[in-house]
Amino acid sequence: MLQHITLEQTLPLVFQGTGGEPPVAESQVWLRNLTLSRGSSYLITAESGTGKSSLCSFIYGIRTDYSGRILFDGEDIRNLGTGQWCRLRRESLAWLPQEMRLFPELTVMENIMIKNRLSDRYSEQEIRRMLQRLEIDNKADTRAEFLSVGQQQRVAVIRALAQPFDFIILDEPVSHLDARNNTAVAALVEETASAQGAAIIATSVGNHLSLHDPETIRL
Amino acid sequence: MPSYKNLTGRLLRRNISAAQLAGYAVANLVGLAIVMCAVQFYRDAHPGFDQDSDSFINRDYLVISPSVSTIGTITGTGAGFTPEAVADLERQPWTRRVGEFTNADFNISASIDFNGGGMQTFLFFESIPDEFFDIRPSGWSFDPENPEIPIIVSKDYLALYNFGFASSRGLPQLSENVINKVPLRITVAGNGRIESFPGRIVGFSSRFNTIAVPQEFMQWANARFADPGETRPYPSRLIVEVENPGSPQVRRYMESHGYEIAGDKADSSRASYFLSVITGVIISVGAVISLLSFFILVLSLSLLLQKNRRKLTDLMLLGYSPNDVAKGYLPVIVITNAAVLVCGCIAVSVGAMLWKKGLESASLETSSLWPTWLLGAGIIALITLLGYFSVLTTVRRYFHPS
Repeated sequence: MLQHITLEQTLPLVFQGTGGEPPVAESQVWLRNLTLSRGSSYLITAESGTGKSSLCSFIYGIRTDYSGRILFDGEDIRNLGTGQWCRLRRESLAWLPQEMRLFPELTVMENIMIKNRLSDRYSEQEIRRMLQRLEIDNKADTRAEFLSVGQQQRVAVIRALAQPFDFIILDEPVSHLDARNNTAVAALVEETASAQGAAIIATSVGNHLSLHDPETIRL
Repeated sequence: MPSYKNLTGRLLRRNISAAQLAGYAVANLVGLAIVMCAVQFYRDAHPGFDQDSDSFINRDYLVISPSVSTIGTITGTGAGFTPEAVADLERQPWTRRVGEFTNADFNISASIDFNGGGMQTFLFFESIPDEFFDIRPSGWSFDPENPEIPIIVSKDYLALYNFGFASSRGLPQLSENVINKVPLRITVAGNGRIESFPGRIVGFSSRFNTIAVPQEFMQWANARFADPGETRPYPSRLIVEVENPGSPQVRRYMESHGYEIAGDKADSSRASYFLSVITGVIISVGAVISLLSFFILVLSLSLLLQKNRRKLTDLMLLGYSPNDVAKGYLPVIVITNAAVLVCGCIAVSVGAMLWKKGLESASLETSSLWPTWLLGAGIIALITLLGYFSVLTTVRRYFHPS
């Protein structure tokens, strides 16, 4: 079980040498020591171009173009092997990328089941109930390529939830949603995370995910 | 209710180019069929390869003698192989072993008693180490306490009598069994002694053109009947087991040392050698075609992976391992290769049927197709494994994109 994610003096290589200038100078993340703990909620606010998606990619192990260290319970994630990353992504780390990365040729249900079958976290009925809560159950058998961006965003949220996790990283999860859908998504995410004592890390450039009392961190 | 099984397979196998796969399959089929046909033909046309029989393409043994010179004929001194010459022969890379023919240094005559009458003739004996014989007749030993001399004669002698002498003179032809039953009386004279022993022809050799007796008898008799004052001559004939009697190195060595090879063994061996060379060339051509087709497979798979790169990466971001992802392509590789193998097996079976008639008219039995099919299966299994590993390597590369 992953308890803590620690960033030690982390900085994207692209910002190297700009330590005294914005955005790095005012950041509470870059070139600082920061620990994110299981069970908490974090809202990482940022302006465009400050490295928000880069941060998510670093933590999720997709990119390594940074200086400093990122530690999972004290272990430098640069030392993790392929097998360890696969296990983490199945059991500890859930991720919703900003660009969602749904498979356009698969239906909504197929897109979710392709993730869910790795851990058999939920039954098909439970997933359909989640779709119902986000008001896209009528699109369950529609191919993802025919959905609006807002609908795709909600499908991607459910897919991210369809696994056991200790941390869920949501990169701008409600950027294309209205306030009502934002609240519905936030409620579903908080409910699912608290049921397993997990942490929520949500980023936003404007439309914040409506979490209850998150710790806000400026990037 | 829709099925959500095998979603990854469905996802990954999109964008497969049927034309590329078909191109690979045809190319690999051509290569595989050539290799399998060449191997099968070689096995069919080379029956003496594995067995020590008297087939026309026989293996491995040469009987050699030094050239007889005119001076030697006049003076009566026979040429022989000196110990140095034998040692030099043994040192050659293509030599497996060398055996010496031992001559009898005494006079021999044999007689057959019929009812009241008889027939007598002078003979010569030679002996060869037992391991060089192509036959092992029962009773092939000699015991001085109970002396009976077993004799092996050349099959050619029997053929000469049956088809040359007997048929032209109206005499009955004799089978090996009949001859085995004829009692002989062998009279040996030398060193001031004359002794008679019972003798019997126990077998016929197609390897040796001689009248052979067991080495034990020859040693015993030479010690007893040879003139002790005379030095033993060098052996006049050698039997050499070689890697490939038809190879040019063997021929060159024999010519340069003035040795003559008995019979046409070298010629038939040369045919065998050429068969090997031609088969080797054909197998190489087939193997090259197979290898090129394998590259077509790898190329077409890597193009497919390139096209699906985003999907592969996304699947691994969801938690799928490179192995899980690569397995999605395994059915494509296995099914295509299995189809190629089945077609290859059919091709070699049809080919074997076509050349079977020709070979049967040359009194050659065709061999089983199973080993060739297994070889084809082995090649295909190897290609399948290599194809899968090439996919796995590419997918692993995609796992760590930066």
